[in-house]
Amino acid sequence: MFQKYLRFVRGVSVKRVGLIGVVLVTSSVITFIILELARLAGLLTNSYIGLITYLGFPALFIIGLILIPIGWRQRKKETGKSTRELLSERFAPEETRGGLFGSTVFKTVAIFTLANIVILGAASTRMLEFMDQPKFCGTACHSVMNPEWVTYQDSPHARVRCVDCHVGEGIDALIDSKLNGTWQMISVTFDLLERPIPTPVHQLRPARETCEQCHWPEKFYGSRLKTLVSYAKDSASTPAYTTLNMKIDAGRRGAQSGIHWHIAEENEVRYASVNDEREEMIWVDARQPDGSYKRYHNTNLVDPESVAKAEYDRVLDCIDCHNRATHIYEQPDKALDERIRLDRLDRSLPYLKRVALEAITNGYNDSVAAMAGIRNHVEGYYLRQFPEVSRTKSALIDSTIEVLQAVYNRNIHHEMNIEWGTYPSHIGHEGNDGGCFRCHNPNLEADDGTAISSDCTMCHSIIANEDRRAFKYLTPPDTADADYQMHRYLQQEFMRFMEEQTK
Amino acid sequence: MRWAKMISILMAAGLLLSLSAAAQTPTEVAGKCMTCHKEKSPGLYQQWYQGKHAAHKVTCIDCHGANEGEPDAFMHYDGLIATLVTPKDCGKCHEKEATEVANSYHAKAGQILESKDAYLAHVTAGSPVVMIGCESCHGAKVEIDPDSPNKLAAKSWPNSGIGRINPDGSLGSCNACHTRHNFSKAQSRQPEACSKCHLGPDHPQKEVYEESKHGNTYYTNKDLMNLDSDTWVVGQDYYVAPTCATCHMSATVDQASTHDVGARISWTLRPAISVKKDNWQQKRANMKNVCVSCHGQSFADGHYYQFDAVVELYNEKFAKPSGEILRLVRENNLLENPASFSNDIEWTYWEIWHHEGRRARHGASMMGPDYTWWEGMYMVVQNFYFKLIPQARAYDNAEVNAYIDRLLTEDPMHAWVNQETEGLKKQIRSGEMEQIYEEFFDER
Repeated sequence: MFQKYLRFVRGVSVKRVGLIGVVLVTSSVITFIILELARLAGLLTNSYIGLITYLGFPALFIIGLILIPIGWRQRKKETGKSTRELLSERFAPEETRGGLFGSTVFKTVAIFTLANIVILGAASTRMLEFMDQPKFCGTACHSVMNPEWVTYQDSPHARVRCVDCHVGEGIDALIDSKLNGTWQMISVTFDLLERPIPTPVHQLRPARETCEQCHWPEKFYGSRLKTLVSYAKDSASTPAYTTLNMKIDAGRRGAQSGIHWHIAEENEVRYASVNDEREEMIWVDARQPDGSYKRYHNTNLVDPESVAKAEYDRVLDCIDCHNRATHIYEQPDKALDERIRLDRLDRSLPYLKRVALEAITNGYNDSVAAMAGIRNHVEGYYLRQFPEVSRTKSALIDSTIEVLQAVYNRNIHHEMNIEWGTYPSHIGHEGNDGGCFRCHNPNLEADDGTAISSDCTMCHSIIANEDRRAFKYLTPPDTADADYQMHRYLQQEFMRFMEEQTK
Repeated sequence: MRWAKMISILMAAGLLLSLSAAAQTPTEVAGKCMTCHKEKSPGLYQQWYQGKHAAHKVTCIDCHGANEGEPDAFMHYDGLIATLVTPKDCGKCHEKEATEVANSYHAKAGQILESKDAYLAHVTAGSPVVMIGCESCHGAKVEIDPDSPNKLAAKSWPNSGIGRINPDGSLGSCNACHTRHNFSKAQSRQPEACSKCHLGPDHPQKEVYEESKHGNTYYTNKDLMNLDSDTWVVGQDYYVAPTCATCHMSATVDQASTHDVGARISWTLRPAISVKKDNWQQKRANMKNVCVSCHGQSFADGHYYQFDAVVELYNEKFAKPSGEILRLVRENNLLENPASFSNDIEWTYWEIWHHEGRRARHGASMMGPDYTWWEGMYMVVQNFYFKLIPQARAYDNAEVNAYIDRLLTEDPMHAWVNQETEGLKKQIRSGEMEQIYEEFFDER
């Protein structure tokens, strides 16, 4: 049997091209099988192996298959002989003699073709499967995807595959994504891409089709109590607490309408923004119960001329607020607050927050310089200002530096020009004009003079606002306090809201 | 009977209680303002929070709350409010101060449209300069613009000029001196509170104060000024130095504080020729009462003896003759251009009295040597003899020339221009020169 195979292989290895083809086909099949067995046996875990097994070898296999007939054809042209003549030249007469199902050669070719189809089918299925793995998306184009890969792994959606949001289901989505992928491969190869990659990513599937696979508006979200801690830049890095009861329901029950009102079935919000960043609105429409739309115009456009040029209008969906649901880039001070809260940074070091913030925001040219710079800054500071601390807590200072370096590497990616603040988040409101305040501000005015409300307690009750007590306004208000009235008001507001919800 | 009496007392008390509760702004409104503004304008909130208003539960709505029908009232969330807080609003609690301000010269500072200064800025520069350059000190007439988000016309708001003409008819703006939203006593007691406006070439009160011993010792001992104290009586609560407020407004051991800044000023040094104000004796007595908190009586009297003489000297030697020269030039139709301030000589005259002459007088009033002489009278002298007179002579008019010739020969104060230096030096040494000016010193 093996002899017969060898004879056949020798027979089809016509010219050097044919020989190469046969070698390619044979060796790639054998290695594919070995590697796949090794992977199944758990001997191979390296993520790059998949790249070779499922992309490299099938490609070589196909190239080899193409080369074999090319060799045959060349020989035919060279010698001017007919196929029959060539066949009898390469194979023993009994092999080319016709039988019930054709000659032995024909049968061998047929069997091999069938085997090829099976192998190719298996390989391409495995290939698609492999390409659906986050590992492939995240690591195949290393420098380009690295920032997204890093932030994804440290995100609430780390267990959801890239393709579940970025590709979606169905053959159309698959074809779309492969076409896009081809273009991406070309732009990576010829360095045609922008750095940083601009957002929003327009090839994303509509958010409502993807997000709502798991999060759906009919669910009752009610409200959620959230405490944010921020640490001051004083010697003790003193914590201050902001506790909000977020009203996040879609508003099925009248008075309980909350932030997800925007995506409740009966509501629709659409808007036009000055540019693709979707940060400055030109107008915002809200669908009214009678089906008409009430339009709010921005009366305070930075450049009123931009109205004419604007071409970015869309229906609001999840992504307009949750634009960083997964690839979350932190703000430097918030990143530190979080690490302190989780005890990864120890605020027993004097001025920890201040020094740490300076260290990670000093503006470095590359990550090597950053790693050294962070170390120099922190070590140098304690050495100069607190020599005693520097001496007695050197291990703590060391681990602090490591945490800060990790924070830096998580968020800053020089190779893609990603700095602090490159990708702002639209959730909530940082400062006075981002996030919710893009639309919820007094400048967005309808013709009847009403504005989109920016009432603080519309979206959240306030239980504490940058206070040393996390639940300050739940305690009895003290008439001696200057903000006694605010305290009482906020307490009453929260109680009213909760009573309403439990009715 | 006893029960009936008790019940009626209880009912009356209950009524009173409910009335006082009703007078207070509802928590929903008062608390809501703070909730948002703490977040949206944290600086403003913190200023207020650290201030005495906060300590006394005076919140946003207490000053900014408006009544239906007020021209600048607008709905803001659940409250009818006005951006503008006028002396009438402040006067709801600070009644004495509001009345004093209303009767003071400060309150009239906005009514300047007919003055030479306003004419100058409007005509020679243009109205955009008037808004910031004139009205931010003097006060604008606040106009209503129904299309403006806060109903205030952008050309008259923001404005914190001390004589602001408000839509509610009141005059002035308390926050001209009591900077919002902290309204700190310490801030308004410091010279900086006044020197947003009282400075510069035409009224350098700030500069004069800084060069005076008063300013000198204030800046040296600012820590000892007890500026935050509730009561601030000179000689009791502090004693190292006076500020503008000390002399012009604040309390002494036996004089109450006043928001009428003119109550202790005896001369008006503003016009071309200074005159004593109505009831100047009382006003001077008021000021001397401040002086003697730290000085002896003869020191205070001596200051006025010297100061009066400088004012009289300026009046007689330069103000009146230069005014007369200008009068003659106009009377003889010698000016080339018709509009006021379109001729050289008018500017020369203007700067002599409005800038240099005032500097000399202000310098003398507050014991600033440099402003009395080099920045003041020295400049008057130079421009009188070597600018105004040559410009007047250039018209070659007989009447003008005759007046000038007569002045320079017959008036002993001006006769020096035709005399030999040696002779003049001899007159200085002999005291003869001094005698010429003796008339300016009052009887003692």
